[in-house]
Amino acid sequence: MAGPGITEFKKLTLETLQVGDEFVSDDHLVIPEDIEAHGFAVEDDHPWLAEGVAPPTLMANQALHLRHSKYLVHAGLHARMEFNFVEPIKLGMRVRTRGRVIDKYERRGKPYMVTEYVTEDDAGRVLVRGQFTQMIIPEPEARPWPRALRPGSRSGRLFHRS
Amino acid sequence: MATRVETGIAVGQALPPLVKDVSQRRIDVYSGVKPRSIHSDEAWARQKGFRTCLAQGMMSTAYVSQLMVNLLGPGFARGGTMSMAFIKPVYAGDRLTVHGVVKDRQNENGATRVVVEVWVENQHGEKTAVGHATGLVS
Repeated sequence: MAGPGITEFKKLTLETLQVGDEFVSDDHLVIPEDIEAHGFAVEDDHPWLAEGVAPPTLMANQALHLRHSKYLVHAGLHARMEFNFVEPIKLGMRVRTRGRVIDKYERRGKPYMVTEYVTEDDAGRVLVRGQFTQMIIPEPEARPWPRALRPGSRSGRLFHRS
Repeated sequence: MATRVETGIAVGQALPPLVKDVSQRRIDVYSGVKPRSIHSDEAWARQKGFRTCLAQGMMSTAYVSQLMVNLLGPGFARGGTMSMAFIKPVYAGDRLTVHGVVKDRQNENGATRVVVEVWVENQHGEKTAVGHATGLVS
C-alpha cells in the first residue's frame, strides 16, 4: 500500500488510463555525455558540443516515458510524434517535461493514448512542446492480445496512421 | 549554433538524403538496455511477434531533425516543427534512407517558413515513417 508521497503504479490499460491524467518527469541536467551518446546512436556528427547546444530532439524520450511515472507499462508502440521547437536545449540546462493525457481511443481493436507535453528549463521557459500517440499493449491476462501481436503474425500490421 | 542561412531553397528541391545503419548497439545506446524491452531484449521482442529488436520510432525523428538542421541550421532548433507517423517497424540491422522534398515556402512575420515533406525508407524501399517538418529562413 502506497503512503503519502509514494507513487502507486497501476497497470496501464485503456480502462485504467484517465483522460486528464497529468505526468511530470524528473529533472535532467543536460551533460556532454548525453549529447555524445545521442550523436553516436543516431549517427549525427554535427558539432553540437562545440556549440554548447543540444540536438533538438535530445529530450524526446523524457516526454515519451512520462506514462511510466504513474503506470506499469507492459509494452507499447509509438504511432505519432509532433514537436514544436521553441527554444534550443543547451548544454548545462536542467530540463523537465510535463504531460497530460488528452485522448484515448480504440481503433481497429487496438488501444491508443494521446499525450500533450511541454519540456521546460528550470526557469519554466518552454523549450519544446507537442503531442504524441502511443499504442497500449496490455498484459495478456489483462486483455486479449490484438490479433496482429500473436506469435507468427505480421507485425507490420501493428503500424498505421492514427 | 553556427549561423547558417539558406536563401536559395526552392519548392520541389530534394534534400541530400541521409543513410543510417541501425545497429543493435546504436539502439541500445539510444533506448537503454532493459529486460522485457522490445528494443533491447530479443527474446521479448520475439514473444511480442517481432522478428528481432525494434528501433524506437523516435530515432527516426532524430534523423529528420538532422536533415532539417543540415538545411536550416538554427532556423530549425528555434521555431522548427515536426510531425511524424511511424508506419512500419524498423529492426536492428536495417539500413534507412531519410528523404526530404521542399513543398512550400510561407511568409511568417518577415521570415520564411520552409515546409518539407519527409519520409524514411528501409533497405527494401518500404516507408517506415512519414510526415513533414518546417523551419525558418531568416
